[in-house]
Amino acid sequence: MKLHIKVDPDLCIGAASCVTIAPETFQLNEENKAYVLDHGTEPTPRTYERVIDVTEEEKENLILAAQSCPTLAIFIFDEAGVQLFPDL
Amino acid sequence: MRYVIVGGGVAGTTAAEALRKRDAKSEITLVSEEHHPLYSRVLLPHYLKGKVPRERVFLKKEAWYGQQQIEWLTGIACEHLDPRNQFVGLTDGRELPYDRLLVATGGEVRTVDADLRGVSYLRTLDDADHLAQILCEQPADARAVIFGGGFIACEYLNLFSHFRLPTTLFHRGAHFWTRSLGEEAGALIAKHLTERGVELHTRTQFVNLLGESELTGVVTSQGEHAAHLLGVGIGTSPDFSWLKAAGVDVGAGVRTNAFLETNIPHVYAAGDIAEFFDEIVGRHIQAGNWMNAMSQGRAAAHIMSGEREPFHLVSSYATNALGLEIIFVGDTLKDAADEVRVLGSVHALGVTQIFVRQGRVVGGVLIGRNQDRAAITKAIQEQKTASEFEIC
Repeated sequence: MKLHIKVDPDLCIGAASCVTIAPETFQLNEENKAYVLDHGTEPTPRTYERVIDVTEEEKENLILAAQSCPTLAIFIFDEAGVQLFPDL
Repeated sequence: MRYVIVGGGVAGTTAAEALRKRDAKSEITLVSEEHHPLYSRVLLPHYLKGKVPRERVFLKKEAWYGQQQIEWLTGIACEHLDPRNQFVGLTDGRELPYDRLLVATGGEVRTVDADLRGVSYLRTLDDADHLAQILCEQPADARAVIFGGGFIACEYLNLFSHFRLPTTLFHRGAHFWTRSLGEEAGALIAKHLTERGVELHTRTQFVNLLGESELTGVVTSQGEHAAHLLGVGIGTSPDFSWLKAAGVDVGAGVRTNAFLETNIPHVYAAGDIAEFFDEIVGRHIQAGNWMNAMSQGRAAAHIMSGEREPFHLVSSYATNALGLEIIFVGDTLKDAADEVRVLGSVHALGVTQIFVRQGRVVGGVLIGRNQDRAAITKAIQEQKTASEFEIC
């Protein structure tokens, strides 16, 4: 399935919990903000949001990574644009 | 199985959630001193600056506890532990039997011995609500004072700067984080703050407050400082009395092995209160950060429900002080290191300290040098020897 992963750099404080849980999807840039990768690669220029194709297991782990963020700076949407996390 | 978790913060709540995920039937009780559902303390400064609305600081809704069939007791603390008969006594008089007990009560904020309207702390949501209120009440010529030299002092600096309050900061040490930083790193922070208009007083003791019912000033060993607001961030000291009375081994925190087990059978600890044996760095450490608390809560749940997996995490915390990026990774206690290597300088506007023990990289503090983070984290994780490790 495809998920739209987005980091809000204004909220991100570089706590790096997401990098610890999902390093293939999140890394920190020079400004100490998390950016989004596609399975460890950057097919397009560096970005705070990306649509990536994931397995059910990867999706669970991405939700865990988003949940671990102390500032809730990570947003996850499904293909239809429905926000999966944070719960509204 | 009956699980009792004492402490409703991120460690305790994550443990409850992880236990329920693995086990639909066990009884889980979460004892919380606060009345709020789980919220992010890290978001409190964002809330105070108006970057997120208050409702956004919550990580769980009140209904969540019931949906998860987690018995959630609020406004209650634990005051007694009977390890032989396996029950805890609560402040409301109840006694709760347990098969597995997790202590995740965090720390109590250290206070100054005086109180007036205008004095604030920044740990809980109630503290933040109180601070939001007094920030609203300030006159146009208000002045702020900060007492402290750590993470909370940084939050106050950013907050008071956001509200354009002229700020004086004092602390007892020669510079920020005296247990971790050396002179060069300390000097860099001091230079950054003073250049941005902060009046800084080091090696300064708190003496008293001035004012009748409202704060008008703070007396320190350096003299009197006019102040309408005082932000106090001088660390935490947990209440260990009920644990010590039960024979739980307590050092700087509740001592555990690498499986988060205390010396008392079936009693575990996680989060800020735990002083756990960290196999990666090879000694007991206490890591007072979000990443550690959440990960230990989850790990404790797995271990309590029968998995035999030691807790391994190189945790870190990042903040900034008026725009200067500050990152702590791994074991950053100077006294526990054999050697502290310093890269960069005040002049270069960036200082990194690398902590080495028994020839291995065990920790790092990065001031204005974010670029070193990944390499240092990896070196600690992979238990690299200091000689294998080269950054410049």
